[in-house]
Amino acid sequence: MAQVLTPDYRRDLEIRRYPTYIYILVPLAALVLQAWLPRLIGRFAYMDLPLLVTIYFALNRRSPIHGTVLGAVLGMAQDGLTARAVGIHGIANTVCGFLAASIGIRIVVENNLIRMVLNFMFSLLASAMVVFITRVLLGLEFQWNWLDELLRAAGNGAIGLALFPLLDRTQARD
Amino acid sequence: MESFFSRYRNLVVLLAALLLQVIGLAVQVRKTVPVEASGVPGAGLREGRSVQLIRLWAADMVTPFERGIHGTGQGLTGLWTNYLDLRHTRDENRELQKTIDRLRLEQATLLEDARQGQRLQTLEKFREGYIYATTPAQVIGTSGSSQSHVLWLDKGADSGLKPDMAVITGDGIVGKLRDVFEHTSQVLVINDQTSGAGVVLATTRIRGILRGNAAGQPQVINILADTRILPGEPVLTAGGDQIFPRGLPVGVVERVERDRERGSFINVIVKPAAKLDNLDEVLVITALDARLSPQQMADLTTSEELKGAEVAADIERKKAAAEMAERLPGLVDPNAPVPATAKDANGKPIAPAIDPKTGQPVPVPPVIPKALPAKHPDRFSPGGVSTGGANLGGVDAGSPGDSGADAAPVAAPVGVKPPVAKKPLTAPGTATKPGTAAKPGTATKPGVRTGGAGGMKSPAPKPAKPKNGVQ
Repeated sequence: MAQVLTPDYRRDLEIRRYPTYIYILVPLAALVLQAWLPRLIGRFAYMDLPLLVTIYFALNRRSPIHGTVLGAVLGMAQDGLTARAVGIHGIANTVCGFLAASIGIRIVVENNLIRMVLNFMFSLLASAMVVFITRVLLGLEFQWNWLDELLRAAGNGAIGLALFPLLDRTQARD
Repeated sequence: MESFFSRYRNLVVLLAALLLQVIGLAVQVRKTVPVEASGVPGAGLREGRSVQLIRLWAADMVTPFERGIHGTGQGLTGLWTNYLDLRHTRDENRELQKTIDRLRLEQATLLEDARQGQRLQTLEKFREGYIYATTPAQVIGTSGSSQSHVLWLDKGADSGLKPDMAVITGDGIVGKLRDVFEHTSQVLVINDQTSGAGVVLATTRIRGILRGNAAGQPQVINILADTRILPGEPVLTAGGDQIFPRGLPVGVVERVERDRERGSFINVIVKPAAKLDNLDEVLVITALDARLSPQQMADLTTSEELKGAEVAADIERKKAAAEMAERLPGLVDPNAPVPATAKDANGKPIAPAIDPKTGQPVPVPPVIPKALPAKHPDRFSPGGVSTGGANLGGVDAGSPGDSGADAAPVAAPVGVKPPVAKKPLTAPGTATKPGTAAKPGTATKPGVRTGGAGGMKSPAPKPAKPKNGVQ
């Protein structure tokens, strides 16, 4: 277990690189699917694909700046599709991207359990930040259901288990 | 200084990104101003151009792919339904054609009612239509966030859509257009927390504002606790928000919840009539003026013709009834004002008929009122029961010279109704035999027996002076 949580292996400290088109296509696909899938499964779309993509690239690139920028862009694009102020999801994803990259430097993120826990925790953090920004910073009336947020976090954790290995296959080989 | 930035580069970038976005949020909140015309708090907010640009970029980035996915899905579905699943299509087509014919007739009736309603509304100076110009649109995406209930449509300003237009389906209202771009538009659904629509409960006529809650259910807020509100009550648009026309179905009351923050208020949870979670096609109301398609106009003409035939038949029936009434005897109230001249259906006086031989107007015989039998007949009453014991069983038939037409009412035994005259009575003074006319105001002399024993002829009875003016 100690071996899992410490960066002893050189492979874990390597910065993973991806082809440029992956940096464009994957976030775009995440946005499109996030906007399209709820049409099929209605209100049971307990997922946040842009956040998952942000976490994935931040963890694997191990670059806080990269995670910050990617989170900001994806979050603001997410806000652009909603009826709310632009920046709410942007700030949440920015913080999550930064923290994910910071954590990725310190722990091994190959383990599926760790990935699931990280996705669950970051999803809860993002939801809490959205509520905080909307109700406290913007002072807007906003109701939220903690059960929905828990389900969304759980859904992100489960989707991450399938999505992250899929995205691992896209990394550039040396 | 350089070492500081290089050492804390990550944190500096993070803080810069956060600061920029916080400033952006602050600018948006400052620039967001409510639209006064909407009349609904929180409904219809306008944003700055930069925010609109971000939304435009996001939409342009996502919606082409969504449109592609939607089109591909539609194509595959069409391939299946149009080529692979065509069994029993002819039979279905025949049945559907019958249904269409029936529905057209029903629609024509409804259109007639709708036009009547519009005329009434015009009289009341309501500038509301009942049939509206709409533009169909396809739903191609959502916001992707459960906290923001937004739909994206495949039509935009190029199709004549504008912000704040109402979006409906055949089942009920969906929402209103929020942002409209060139080829796409964004719908704020009624179950979003920032939406707002004026609604009225159909039965109790309680008005309120509809908006979404955290669970994504539309609810009517700010209503004082009222025990009359029961589940199942229909909820309609009130029409006061200048977005949704009045009377469109919103849904039905699902349950009533007490407002946690304000105890005397309740929130009425509404089950939406439209399937908000599963929408494919919607209609955008682009104008509130009445628009009738050529087919609808043809149906309306058919309906009016049918209705005209019914009216003509009804007039014929009334005319026949009137003729029958003229032939049959009836009681006429003599106190009723005599119409000066006959009038036609339009209220215009009818000219008297002209005799073709003489060229003179044909005199219209006056209406002779029939003498009513006295309520308490006595021997002074015309035709009353004779006081003479010899007359108990006899009936005074009047003088031989009296014609049946001008004969006074005959006496009848007690308990026997007076016979009804077969012909209308003539007016006093029009008696066929001079001297037999009963002078108005001439009372029967007391002591004169109106009935003779053994069928003895009695003098011509003189009508008694009516007590209540009945002649």
